[in-house]
Amino acid sequence: MPVLLGFIDGQALWQTIWTGAVAGIGVCIIFAFTILGAARSTDMRLEDRAVAATLYAVLAVLGTLASFAVVIYAVVLITTK
Amino acid sequence: MESDIILVIVVATALGFDFTNGFHDTANVVATGISTRALPPKLAVTLAAILNFIGAFLSLKVAATVAKDIVDPSTITMTIVFAGLIGAIAWNLITWYFGLPSSSSHALVGGLVGASFVAHGFSSISGEGLLGKVMVPAVIAPVLAFLVAGVSIIVIYRIVGRLRPGPVNRGFRVGQWASSGLLAVSHGTNDAQKTMGIITLALVAHGSLDADNFEVPTWVIFASASAIALGTYSGGWRIIKTMGSRIIKMDPAQGFAAQGAGASAILAASHAGFPLSTTHTISGAVMGAGAAKRLSAVRWGVAGNMMIAWLLTIPCAAAIGGIVYGFTSIFGDGAAGPLIVSVVSVGLLLAVYLRRLQRGSVLTAAEA
Repeated sequence: MPVLLGFIDGQALWQTIWTGAVAGIGVCIIFAFTILGAARSTDMRLEDRAVAATLYAVLAVLGTLASFAVVIYAVVLITTK
Repeated sequence: MESDIILVIVVATALGFDFTNGFHDTANVVATGISTRALPPKLAVTLAAILNFIGAFLSLKVAATVAKDIVDPSTITMTIVFAGLIGAIAWNLITWYFGLPSSSSHALVGGLVGASFVAHGFSSISGEGLLGKVMVPAVIAPVLAFLVAGVSIIVIYRIVGRLRPGPVNRGFRVGQWASSGLLAVSHGTNDAQKTMGIITLALVAHGSLDADNFEVPTWVIFASASAIALGTYSGGWRIIKTMGSRIIKMDPAQGFAAQGAGASAILAASHAGFPLSTTHTISGAVMGAGAAKRLSAVRWGVAGNMMIAWLLTIPCAAAIGGIVYGFTSIFGDGAAGPLIVSVVSVGLLLAVYLRRLQRGSVLTAAEA
């Protein structure tokens, strides 16, 4: 068994696991907040709560930008290293 | 002259394998986006084909693993590569016939290992590469995708659970344009590179590339990218007809989580140079997104079939690859063996394909 474990590139495997997990879950969380911001912003606007609507709109915009940034960063990382 | 003929046969067989890989995997790539109505079927298939093509150019680490780390490139002959490819194609055909969610990637590795073993024995096989870069990641990637999709959908429901479903569904449908695209890119990145690796090995065996210091030629990258993209595009039209009630019913948030998890697992593995089964990884993500919402929503029989496929694919494809190499070598090192096997294989392939079509279409893992 220890011989078999020696065959495994633990560092590469661990990197795959943590980067896959962080990227997958991270993008989902960021995008969920984008939708939360967009939906709540609309609701607040309908209720004439301008400040809250603006804050939620900012959250939506930041979420959108962050989502794009993560995807672009991932592609750049893959193509350059 | 004879070695040139064998090289042409091997390259054509490898590109044919790449085409069938794209054809077979179209459902896995586009099913989630279509079933949640995020993307119209025709557009989904066309985008998947284009992004498969682009994805093939992103990285060469998987190609390097296939070409250098599974079998010893200095002992490889073109007949071994040819026998390995035939072993993989034959196993894919057998599993397609019986509806098993087999992995083309594992079949390719198995075929190559089997043919190499029959030709040169254990010494020609890299146990380290086979275990550490193929078998262990093959098990870990679908589990990773399952867990990431499961955790993601739980977190998503916590964040957007109290909102009205209309805007949430519309939002995640928009998000699925990006997640579908990433999944198609990741599929092209990992799967097309396996063919690049195989053709590169054949070029090393032919003497066109130096066994000790070689890189994947640009024409190989372009040809492999084109073959998988054409396969994806061609496969899509049949899938569109069978699309609908056979796919797991998911909401757009689940679709987004499944595609995001599948894409991130495949891209992370591609970056490390692991040639994974994209079919198993995407299926794992779909199951994870389904299981996190309701355990009974998942057809666990498919998971069982995947386990069977994991256990059987490499040894069975290896056995076929070894037998094909043994048969081919009866005719010597020339082109006669590969030519005879090619003609017989094409005849058998057509016969089985027509017979299977008469029985109706087969579900893939992601469809079932």
